[in-house]
Amino acid sequence: MDSLRQLAINEEGFVFNPATGESWTVNSTGLYILKLLKEGKDEDTIARQMAAEFDVDLETAQRDVVDFVEKLRSYRLL
Amino acid sequence: MKKPYEKPVITKVETGLMNKFGNAPYYARKVRTAIDGVSIDALVQQFGSPLFVLSERQLRENYRKLYRAFAARYPNVQFGWSYKTNYLQAVCAVLHQEGAFAEVVSLMEYEKARRLGIPGEKIIFNGPYKPVEILEQAAAEGALINIDHFDEIADLEAVAKKLGKQIRVGIRVNMDTGIYPQWSRFGFNLETGQVMDAVKRIQAGGHLVLTGLHCHIGTFIMEPDAYAQETAKLVQLKYSIEEHFGYQIEFLDIGGGLPSRNRLKGTYLPPEILLPSVEEYAEKITQALYDHLKPGDFPTLVLENGRAIVDEAGYLITTVVASKRLPDGRKAYIADAGVNLLFTAFWYKFTVEMDRDLPGVNESCVIYGPLCMNIDVLDEGTSLPPLERGTRLIFSPVGAYNQTQWMQFIEYRPSVVMVMEDGTVEVIREQEDLSDIERRERLPEKLQLNSIAAE
Amino acid sequence: MDVVVGITGINAIDNPGPGIGIAKSLKEDPELSVQIVGLAYDAMEPGIYMDWIVDSAFLLPYPSGDYRAYLERLRYIRAQTGLNFLFPVLDAELPLYIKYQKALEAEGIRTFLPSLEQYKLRGKDRLEEVAQTIGITAPRSAVVTSYEELARAAEDIGFPLMVKGVFYKAYKAFSLPEAASYYSKIAAEWGYPIIVQQVVTGEEMNVVAAGDGNGNALGMVGIKKTWITELGKIWTGVTIKNDRLLAAAQAFIERYRWKGAFELECIVDLENDTVYLIEINPRFPAWSYFATGVGVNIAANIVRSALGLPVTVADYEPGKLYIRFTDDFVVDMDVFQKMMLRGERR
Ligand SMILES: Cc1ncc(COP(=O)(O)O)c(C=O)c1O
Repeated sequence: MDSLRQLAINEEGFVFNPATGESWTVNSTGLYILKLLKEGKDEDTIARQMAAEFDVDLETAQRDVVDFVEKLRSYRLL
Repeated sequence: MKKPYEKPVITKVETGLMNKFGNAPYYARKVRTAIDGVSIDALVQQFGSPLFVLSERQLRENYRKLYRAFAARYPNVQFGWSYKTNYLQAVCAVLHQEGAFAEVVSLMEYEKARRLGIPGEKIIFNGPYKPVEILEQAAAEGALINIDHFDEIADLEAVAKKLGKQIRVGIRVNMDTGIYPQWSRFGFNLETGQVMDAVKRIQAGGHLVLTGLHCHIGTFIMEPDAYAQETAKLVQLKYSIEEHFGYQIEFLDIGGGLPSRNRLKGTYLPPEILLPSVEEYAEKITQALYDHLKPGDFPTLVLENGRAIVDEAGYLITTVVASKRLPDGRKAYIADAGVNLLFTAFWYKFTVEMDRDLPGVNESCVIYGPLCMNIDVLDEGTSLPPLERGTRLIFSPVGAYNQTQWMQFIEYRPSVVMVMEDGTVEVIREQEDLSDIERRERLPEKLQLNSIAAE
Repeated sequence: MDVVVGITGINAIDNPGPGIGIAKSLKEDPELSVQIVGLAYDAMEPGIYMDWIVDSAFLLPYPSGDYRAYLERLRYIRAQTGLNFLFPVLDAELPLYIKYQKALEAEGIRTFLPSLEQYKLRGKDRLEEVAQTIGITAPRSAVVTSYEELARAAEDIGFPLMVKGVFYKAYKAFSLPEAASYYSKIAAEWGYPIIVQQVVTGEEMNVVAAGDGNGNALGMVGIKKTWITELGKIWTGVTIKNDRLLAAAQAFIERYRWKGAFELECIVDLENDTVYLIEINPRFPAWSYFATGVGVNIAANIVRSALGLPVTVADYEPGKLYIRFTDDFVVDMDVFQKMMLRGERR
């Protein structure tokens, strides 16, 4: 969580970690999830919120959030 | 109105990979919704997944394009269809309709050609192992037999004696054309003089009449000059044989080996940059003929191309049945077809197309097959947008050497259909079921399990 | 005359591409008013950030991908910048540009490149033939495709010897086991055939030059590297006038009607007065600015020749020094972000 909070996130989708010098590119939905994670929301809440706002069913949203979080973990951002 | 959805993707900026255009958008990201106008969806609905699809139109077009490239430059051209490349009856039938002879290399292939109704005199019989019984049949039926080794000369002489007639034969030659590796294990070597020894031997026997020379320098030959060398050497050999032995060499068979528009693993550049055009090959070969043939002499030029004709006519439709995250963060997809069906996946990196336009940026991923085997990988590293479960991936070109070298292993083999020129779709090989696999098996009485269970 | 020139190889790193040298050369032509469009394959290529030389920069798809995607990108860049001439300088992209030079020209993007036939002359299996044609010598060599042939060739040539791929890779071997291990290494990576070559001793000398495709030179400079880096790249050098070397380059241009830039790498055995041809590079070397610096602006002459402008082929003095040096500068992250997200800097 700590590393997440430090991230500098640019609206176009460029993510920079000032502590490590690493950077990432992220698409719009990824950016959306990243921001909510930064606010401390949990995965299920994020998936529900996403299903309400985007043209996606809840089940897919849940799977995709889990997958995205796994990816963040592989980058040690979580 | 809800906002349009794209699966979330995050990609680390890594040294050496900082280029969003690197692999995108087209090469790694193509959409194909139909094959020759028949939708992928309809094909799968009707015939299931995975599914091999062959295009009659493409098959004929490739054949004609290649044939015209040669026929427009030289007056006497004959193609032989290399059965081993794809011997599904429908494929052979299309190519025979186009005018190809059958080029076979085994008893089984010979029988296949005959069963399809191809007369012996339109069969070119090659290969290092021709059992005597089929040699006898082929000789009796007037097939063009290209001799591979000295033992076969002896076999054929015995056949000739038995049939009480002289047999017209060709001999296979191997030679240095600058191509590596040199396929020196087939036929008689030119440079060492082995060919001339073979001709001498044939003449001494008196039962065989040499009428043709055959050579196949290898496969996926990217150098037109190699064929020019081959052709020139065959013409010189022809005259030298005619002069010293009095035989009349009527056909020069330069084999197959032209590349298909496929991407060999390990080659950096794509086929459209790496590969010369068909016309370039035809130009070099016919130029070599005109440079070395005597005026007015036009022996039949025989070609036996396989992959160059059928590879691009074949597609494999597969379905993404699952996805997972690998420990290294890469995405992995499991498709319902694997190396059991795509034997050529061992040396080609195929074009992978999706049946729908998926939003999202490309992610690096691996595509696995369904086999519970570590080697079952269709693409060990490509770049695709996040795929939904159920997405169809279309692999191509896969028309060559897959329907002959596929394995019955773990899974049933799927249907093969042909999209016909008139837009209809024909099943040309049905999907297998358990009966196909067990039909030839016998379970000994004492091993019958139900009898144990009954006790 | 306004020219918008695309240049690849702007990776001015420790193993530099030739791009920045070409860009500097073009900017130094007093009559050409050149806009430089830097074409990069990675957002970290230094040239992207050198805005005092490179006016705008764009990322290209890898040449290993679909040609249509590549062409589409070039079209886009042309629409944005008016790109009308392009210098491809990297080995990996040359086959694409050579094969499609006509198609690109039809799109309004001119190049100045050899034909495919000419391009094949660079193969190491043709070195002896080319050397003979242009009046010099090539090291004794053999084309081998098996261990037996390798052993036979090694016996013939003697150790040490060079083991080389036709287009890439070269290793020096001092024994048969060592040669065999390089042989299998190259074969596994680049395929057959493998070339075994005599090691010749002498001074390494190189020529950068260009031909106009009709047998005329567009400039020519001979150099000797006096200091090379651990990667084997020139760090300092000196211009030289070795008649046999220059005559060979002239003959190369005349005999083969070579079109475009090239470099001949040679070893000159002064004791026996023999010039050995070691390698033909069908493009500018990374140090091509050296020629411009001594008054022979080959890059500008290529652009001039392509546009039908007058060309002057200047002479140069031997004894001029080439000095490479390191430098550094600092930029904001936003250019990098733009390169990552949009693939361009304008
Ligand atoms: C004798 C002969 N002819 C023709 C072929 C067809 O080769 P390709 O598919 O490379 O054209 C082969 C393939 O191995 C062959 O052995």
